[in-house]
Amino acid sequence: MGQSLMKKFATSVAFAAALGAATAVVPASAETLRMAWSQDATGLDPHKQTAFSSLRLLELVYEPLVRLNADLEIIPALAESWEFSEDGKTLTFKLDADAKFQNGEKVTPADVKASFERVLDEATGAAARANFTSIESIDTPDETTVVFNLSQPDVPMLTAMTGINAAVVPASEIEAGTIGTKAIGSGPFKLDSWEPNQKEVLSANPDWAGGEVKVDGIDISVLPDETAILAALRTKQVDFALINDPLVATLVPNEASLELSRTPVLAYHVLQLNPSREPMTEQAVRQAISCAIDRQDVLDTALLGEGAVTGPLTMPAYRSDPGALFCYERDVEKAKQLMADAGYEDGFSATVIAATGEPPTAAAEAQVIQSQLAEIGIKLDIKMMELNVYVDTWLKGDFDMAVALNGGRADPYSMYNRYWTKDGNLQHVANYIDDTLDSLMQEGRVETDFDKRKEIFAKFETHLAEVSPWIWLYTGYTYTAQQKNVKGFVPSPTGTLFGLTEVSVGE
Amino acid sequence: MQLLRAIFSHSSGRIGGAIVGLYIIIAILGLLGITPHDPLMQFRVDRLHAPDATYWMGTDLFGRDVASRLMLGISQSFIVAFASVALAAVAGIVLGLAAAWFGGWWDGTIMRFMDVLLAFPAILLALLIIAIVGPGTWTSVMAIAIVYTPIFTRVVRGPALSLKTRDFVDAARTFGSSRNYILTRHLMLNLVAPLTVQVTLALAWGLLTEAGLSFLGLGTQPPASSLGLMLADSRNLMEMAPWLLIFPGIAIMIGILGFNLLGDALRDILDPRTRRSAA
Amino acid sequence: MNYLARRLMTFPLVMLGVSVLVFVSIRLVPGDAITAMLGTEAGLLTPDQRAALEAYFGIDQGWFTQYWRWLAGAVQGDLGVSVTFGKPVLDVILERFPLTLELALLSMVIALAIGLPAGIFAATRNEKPSDLAVRIFAMIGQSTPNFVFALLAIYVLSVGFGVLPAMGEFTPFLENPLRNLGQMILPALTLGFAFAAAVTRISRSAMLDILSDDYIRTARAKGVPARKVIWRHALPNALIPVVTLSGVEFGYLLGGAVIVEQIFALPGLGRMVLDAILQRDYALVQGSVLFIALNFMIVNLLVDLAYAMLDPRIRLGGK
Repeated sequence: MGQSLMKKFATSVAFAAALGAATAVVPASAETLRMAWSQDATGLDPHKQTAFSSLRLLELVYEPLVRLNADLEIIPALAESWEFSEDGKTLTFKLDADAKFQNGEKVTPADVKASFERVLDEATGAAARANFTSIESIDTPDETTVVFNLSQPDVPMLTAMTGINAAVVPASEIEAGTIGTKAIGSGPFKLDSWEPNQKEVLSANPDWAGGEVKVDGIDISVLPDETAILAALRTKQVDFALINDPLVATLVPNEASLELSRTPVLAYHVLQLNPSREPMTEQAVRQAISCAIDRQDVLDTALLGEGAVTGPLTMPAYRSDPGALFCYERDVEKAKQLMADAGYEDGFSATVIAATGEPPTAAAEAQVIQSQLAEIGIKLDIKMMELNVYVDTWLKGDFDMAVALNGGRADPYSMYNRYWTKDGNLQHVANYIDDTLDSLMQEGRVETDFDKRKEIFAKFETHLAEVSPWIWLYTGYTYTAQQKNVKGFVPSPTGTLFGLTEVSVGE
Repeated sequence: MQLLRAIFSHSSGRIGGAIVGLYIIIAILGLLGITPHDPLMQFRVDRLHAPDATYWMGTDLFGRDVASRLMLGISQSFIVAFASVALAAVAGIVLGLAAAWFGGWWDGTIMRFMDVLLAFPAILLALLIIAIVGPGTWTSVMAIAIVYTPIFTRVVRGPALSLKTRDFVDAARTFGSSRNYILTRHLMLNLVAPLTVQVTLALAWGLLTEAGLSFLGLGTQPPASSLGLMLADSRNLMEMAPWLLIFPGIAIMIGILGFNLLGDALRDILDPRTRRSAA
Repeated sequence: MNYLARRLMTFPLVMLGVSVLVFVSIRLVPGDAITAMLGTEAGLLTPDQRAALEAYFGIDQGWFTQYWRWLAGAVQGDLGVSVTFGKPVLDVILERFPLTLELALLSMVIALAIGLPAGIFAATRNEKPSDLAVRIFAMIGQSTPNFVFALLAIYVLSVGFGVLPAMGEFTPFLENPLRNLGQMILPALTLGFAFAAAVTRISRSAMLDILSDDYIRTARAKGVPARKVIWRHALPNALIPVVTLSGVEFGYLLGGAVIVEQIFALPGLGRMVLDAILQRDYALVQGSVLFIALNFMIVNLLVDLAYAMLDPRIRLGGK
């Protein structure tokens, strides 16, 4: 452990202690929202963190240039307006002149430039860097204008900029090396204290340029077990909670004083096959698996029907009727025929990996899939792994099949370029690529006309479902549960809790 | 034979023996597949079905028969408990005897190593081992065995040490008995009593630890079942389907109770010092 | 004193062993702090990015160098910095420890308050129905895994009585004792139940042993009232095994009750170590396992010393 890191932490401890002392004096207001979730943030650096749980927290503290609304349309955040040049190679933003960081400094084009340069700097270790590699240079011609010069037209980049991984942070904090230890953003809430895996205390930011927050603050408790969250809701110790497990969520409406809201999300449940391993190298075998799986049945059993069967494209603007895709109607006879064609009429054995508790339904999904595939002679061994072990195994592509819940994006290119392009970063995990997929992805990347893009990606989806490197299953919901006196929360398919800015706690 | 008769004339031994016997029969039936239904068969139309004449203990999330799964679970839990205790006992005997016999540097090294294992929080040690090797029945067995080895080592080393210095060992030595002969014959005879008691009690702990690990999702892998796994799965469903919690919960309690009662009885029978206290 | 010195001398050796074991085993587990932070997105990192993050998390050096650095710090009381908390490991541990200590103390109080009277009562009613009832109850108590007890308790309380344990944000004792106890009572009962059963059993059998000893018989024969015999003469001696058992059990509880803390959402030591393992916070895992091991050894040493003090017949080091 470096000495400088130690020092950074030491200052942040002093900082946190000072804040702790300050907040202790302020009496707890009735307007504070008491919230609970089961998974805590893993860190405070908006450019580095990629876990859902971290993003949910950081979205309340930091702001990107633009954000997505509940209909996944791009709306202003720090930027008032933006436009692409004719050739699609310059992207210009006008900043909100009122925007201020929580340390009182104005948000300037220099901060934007410094933030993106930090993301692009390999020494930062920002996983989101891959989305922004077409940025060649950044100009700051005046007090409110930022110009991104791109090496090629890059339509999906604007969508990538809506993520908190593209948050604008103060240039002075980058200089001081305190990003990740102090959370100083320009967002609706200030992070007063954070006890990892225990709680965080947020207070409303009165200087937020985006409007007025209706609560004084949010106290978040981390309750590792969702049954405990349900208990806390029932005993009114928590006003608002995030729930992942559909089995727990479906119990919420049983309580008269509680409300459950659910929104379909972009993340998709999938059975990943590994086409580099025998016999999944055979397209017929992969197709047989696709035909043998009854997606609706897996959904009904493992998630109690809480979700909708989907093809690869999960965003509402691109989503199509999955019934039209290859073998989305279960067809065991066809599956057996395909197995026989490939020379596997007697079936084969394979191992499927799944992460314990991530998603909470993983073990159940694996077991239903196992029983369905047994019907065409495929004998599956289930290996449940601790999440981190699973991730390590997954990244090495060291599996026959994997039950996964993969994150979705509002743009199909940003969502899938890592897997289904020839130089995708995770091509060694996907282990399947063909010219059709690659060229459709490249076409989609540069096309600016929405209808044409939609057509391109519809072809992409049809082809992907047919060659079946993976078996897309369904999308689930994001759940929030709240007491009836909590009003105004608007959920979003991205799962963001930004809607908390509109929330008020009544009597 | 004599021991069996003694157990059955002992009040708690009788009950404990009966419970353990019954569980072993259930475990064997479960292993042979003689169950009311196929424990892996998913009767999808009867998901979360309450107990009735067809499904004596109801069905789970997948429509699998809980009674059949309980039988399979008992056999799985017993296999893990017996195998891990056997392994720990063998390792403990070897290490304990080695420490006592060779003494000196050997003794110090072995016993300090056992101290290290004892001071290491047990469930975390098991958890780390499983995370390294990957979960599965035999990993659980190994992890639990490692956790319990120090206890057996200590149980063996103490009496072995005191026996080693006794005259009859010396006498045997002067009469030219081989070293191995002394080790196996004399020492083992005097160690059998405390070991038998320890093994029975450790079986109860083995059941408990297996359940704990499976409860954390690191023990038995689905779709096989074990008592801990069934309990873990009942966690989010206990309001909709309380039978998923109650039957495995009671089954594990009674199983552990059986070993505890048997262990108590054996202690009374084999250890003359405590015989009078709990006749 | 010689014995004490000899025991204390093994401490550093055992601690060294524990530290090596935890150091190696946590690193053998697949995945590291980077995959813990990024999940599958870690696959998007370029080699340079990965190297930068490894340096940031202090895992860029070889194991031996890492261990040597850590050890050099540890002997000076510096256990390193937790990457998840961004604080010195010792601070993090000491923040969580009070809860674990409180839980262990509460469970022990419950266990002794129930177990001791029950055990003595049963001993004086040897083989009568009330003795049998106590023994059966104790046997069941000892045979119930604590998570089974916890789940059944939650189920019975919530479904049967509509009462639920307080599981919101945890309140420290000093902040609001009543609310704190409201949150702690069920977990403490869960841990105390099996503990009480063990105390009952051991105090009963110890009491029976002593009541049949010669000097007690003599006292009785001399006409000393039964009550006085029990309280003045028998109890002090019967306490010896109870103290030993409670001490050892207490030592285990100080290590944190992983599953019970998880079920009742308590931010104690056990949950902290589990989280640290899951997040591959190496320094925190190493520090806390060492802390737990040291506690365990100290408590056991104290138990042995107390044993020697209570029972003059025992000479330590004699075995």
